[in-house]
Amino acid sequence: MTTPEPLLRIEHLVKHFATSRGLFDKGDPVRAVDGVSLALSRGETVSLVGESGSGKTTLGRCILRLTEPTSGTVSFDGVDVLALDGADLRALRRRMQIVFQDPAGSLNPRMTAGTAVREPLEVHGVARGAEARTRVDALFDEVGLDPSLAERYPHELSGGQKQRVGIARALSIQPEFMVLDEPVSALDVSVQAQVVNLLVDLQRARSLTYLFIAHDLAVVRHITDRIAVMYLGKIVETADVGPLYERPLHPYTVSLLSAVPIPDPTASRNRVALPGEMPSPRRPPPGCPFHPRCPHLKKDKRCSTEAPPLREVEPGRWAACHLAEEPMNHAPQPSTGGNP
Amino acid sequence: MTALLRVRNLTTSFTTESGVARAVDGVSFDLGQGETLGLVGESGCGKTVTALSILRLVTEPPGKYGAASRIEFDGMNLLELPPRELRKVRGAQIAMIFQEPMSSLNPVLTVGSQIVEAIRAHEATAKRTATDRAIELLTMVGIPEPEHRFKDYPHQMSGGMQQRVMIAMALSCGPKILIADEPTTALDVTIQAQILDLLMDLKARLGMSLLFITHDLGVLAGVADRVAVMYGGQIVEAGEVRSIFEQPAHPYTQGLLRAVPRVDRPTNELQGIPGAVPTATEWPAGCRFHPRCSQRIDRCQSEGPPEITTDSGNVTRCWVATSAGAS
Repeated sequence: MTTPEPLLRIEHLVKHFATSRGLFDKGDPVRAVDGVSLALSRGETVSLVGESGSGKTTLGRCILRLTEPTSGTVSFDGVDVLALDGADLRALRRRMQIVFQDPAGSLNPRMTAGTAVREPLEVHGVARGAEARTRVDALFDEVGLDPSLAERYPHELSGGQKQRVGIARALSIQPEFMVLDEPVSALDVSVQAQVVNLLVDLQRARSLTYLFIAHDLAVVRHITDRIAVMYLGKIVETADVGPLYERPLHPYTVSLLSAVPIPDPTASRNRVALPGEMPSPRRPPPGCPFHPRCPHLKKDKRCSTEAPPLREVEPGRWAACHLAEEPMNHAPQPSTGGNP
Repeated sequence: MTALLRVRNLTTSFTTESGVARAVDGVSFDLGQGETLGLVGESGCGKTVTALSILRLVTEPPGKYGAASRIEFDGMNLLELPPRELRKVRGAQIAMIFQEPMSSLNPVLTVGSQIVEAIRAHEATAKRTATDRAIELLTMVGIPEPEHRFKDYPHQMSGGMQQRVMIAMALSCGPKILIADEPTTALDVTIQAQILDLLMDLKARLGMSLLFITHDLGVLAGVADRVAVMYGGQIVEAGEVRSIFEQPAHPYTQGLLRAVPRVDRPTNELQGIPGAVPTATEWPAGCRFHPRCSQRIDRCQSEGPPEITTDSGNVTRCWVATSAGAS
C-alpha cells in the first residue's frame, strides 16, 4: 500500500451470489466477497488466507474474471480489467494466469502433458510447430519434468508431476501475474515442499507477481511477502508476513495462527480456542462479522453494532477491529519460546 | 504397558489389473491400554488399509489377508473369527471414524435415528432408552441443542458437526479402541482444533485406546504417545513421539520432518524428498525407499533391511542406521 504504482489494484470488490430457496423465500444473496481492497506490487507475493467460505477463491476468480464481480474495480497495470471484453480481455489474460488446486481436475484427461503445455502457445498465437515444441521442452525443463513425460496422459502422472504440468501450462505464455489457488494443498508433504520451492524459484527467475490463495498458514509463511486474512468475505487483517505471524493484531488471526498444529511434540500449545463455526455468508452477523466467536475479553457493544473498518493500526499494519490496540488477555503466540 | 491389540505380520494384498498390490506388507505393532498410537505416512503407504484390516473391512476378493497375519484382540485372532463373533467386536469394542463424515452417514435418515440404530445393533435396547442415550452422546460430543439436532439430516450440519455425530456413533457402545482415520483432514483449522480437543478429552475420560491415522505431522505431534511411520506398505520406523521427532533414524522420517513447514518459525529452505511414492504393484526391490533416499548404499538396492533398535529406542528398518548402530 506504500508503493505508488501497484501492478494490480483491487478496490471495493464485491461479489454476491443470488440465491433462491423456493417460491416464497427469495433468499438473501451469499456475500462471498464483501468489499475487498488490495494492491499487489510487481514481483511481490501476497497471500490470501482464510477458512472455507471466507471468499478467498471467489476473490481470485473475480480478478481474472472467471467470475464476474458484482461491483468494485480491478485494475492491472493501469488497465480497467472489468471494462474489457473480447479480444482485449483475451490479450490481458496472456498476462494473468491461474493454477488450480486439483491438478487432476484442471487437466484434460485426453490431452498429453506436452499438448497441455503447448495448447496455450497456439491459442494465443505465441508459437507453432517446431518453435512451440522447443518452448515446451524448455518449459518442461524449467518446472523439473523429464521430457519423456510429454507423451503421458494425466492419469499416468503423479500428483506432483500433474501440478508441474499445470504450472508449465500457466507459464507457457509468459504471464506477469499468477493466481495460485491452493496449488500444493492436494500434494503429499514430501512433494509439496518440492513444488513450493519450484514456485519460489520461478518467481525469482521470471520476476513474477503471485497472489497465493491458501488455507495452510505454515506453507504461506514460507512463500509470501505479505498476507491478507479473510473472514466472511472481508479482509480483517493485512501486514508483512513477519510482523503478522509474530504479533497478529486481529483476534481472528490470533486464533487462526494458534490453531495450526506444530510438528514438534515439545512445542507449547497456547491455543486460543475459537468457539462455534463461521456463520453463513448469507446472513453475516451485524457489526463486526467475527464478534459472535471473538475471544477478546474487552469485546463490547460496539463490536456487535458497528462494523469496524480496515484501518492502519500501525505503519504498514492494517486490521478491522475496534480493539486492535488493546492487547488480548491471552498468550497470543502459538510458537515455542526462544524463537527469533 | 499391556497390549490391548497386537497386530502381527499383517499382509493385505489386492488383485488388480496391473498385478498384485501388496498394500500392507508385513506390519506388526501393539496398541497399549489407554495409549494413542499415531500411524503416519503419505498417500498410498498403507495406513488406511491397515486400519480397515484390523476390523476386517477389506472386501475379499479382491482383497486378501496373508495366511500368517494375526490381529490379536482379547485373546482372539480377529482374522479367523466367525462373522457372528466378529460383529460383536466390530463397532462395539473397536470402533472407527473416517475422514469424510458425509460419506459415512446415511443422507436420508436423521442423525439421531442413525445413532439409535447403531446402539440397537449391538444391544437389545428399547427405542426410548436408545433415544435418551443418543441425546446423551450428542451432548457428550459437544453438539449444542442436542434434542433439536437429533432430528437433523446430515446435510443440515456443518462438516465439524457431522464429524461430532460420527464420534458419538462410534462411542455409542463404549468401545475399548477407537480407530480414527484422518478424522480432521477435511476440516478447517479452527474446527480441526475443536475436534482434536474433543477426541483427546473423550479418550482420557473413557480410558480408550486410540489408533490415530494421519498424514499431518503437526496433528501427530499433538496427539500421539507413540508413532509408527509407514512407507511402501511397511512400518519403517516406530518409537516414542519425542524420539521420532527429535532423533529420527530412518531417512524417510528425517526427510518428512525436513519437508514440513512450521507456522511458528520464519522461513528456512524446505527440502522436498525427490521423486514420488511408488505404487503398491511395483514396490522397489530391497529397501522400498532406496530410489528416493539420499543416503543409500549398494546393499539398499537388493536386500530389504532388518529391524533394529536405535540408541534412542526407535525401531527402524534401514541399512544405513544398521551400519551406524553396528550392534
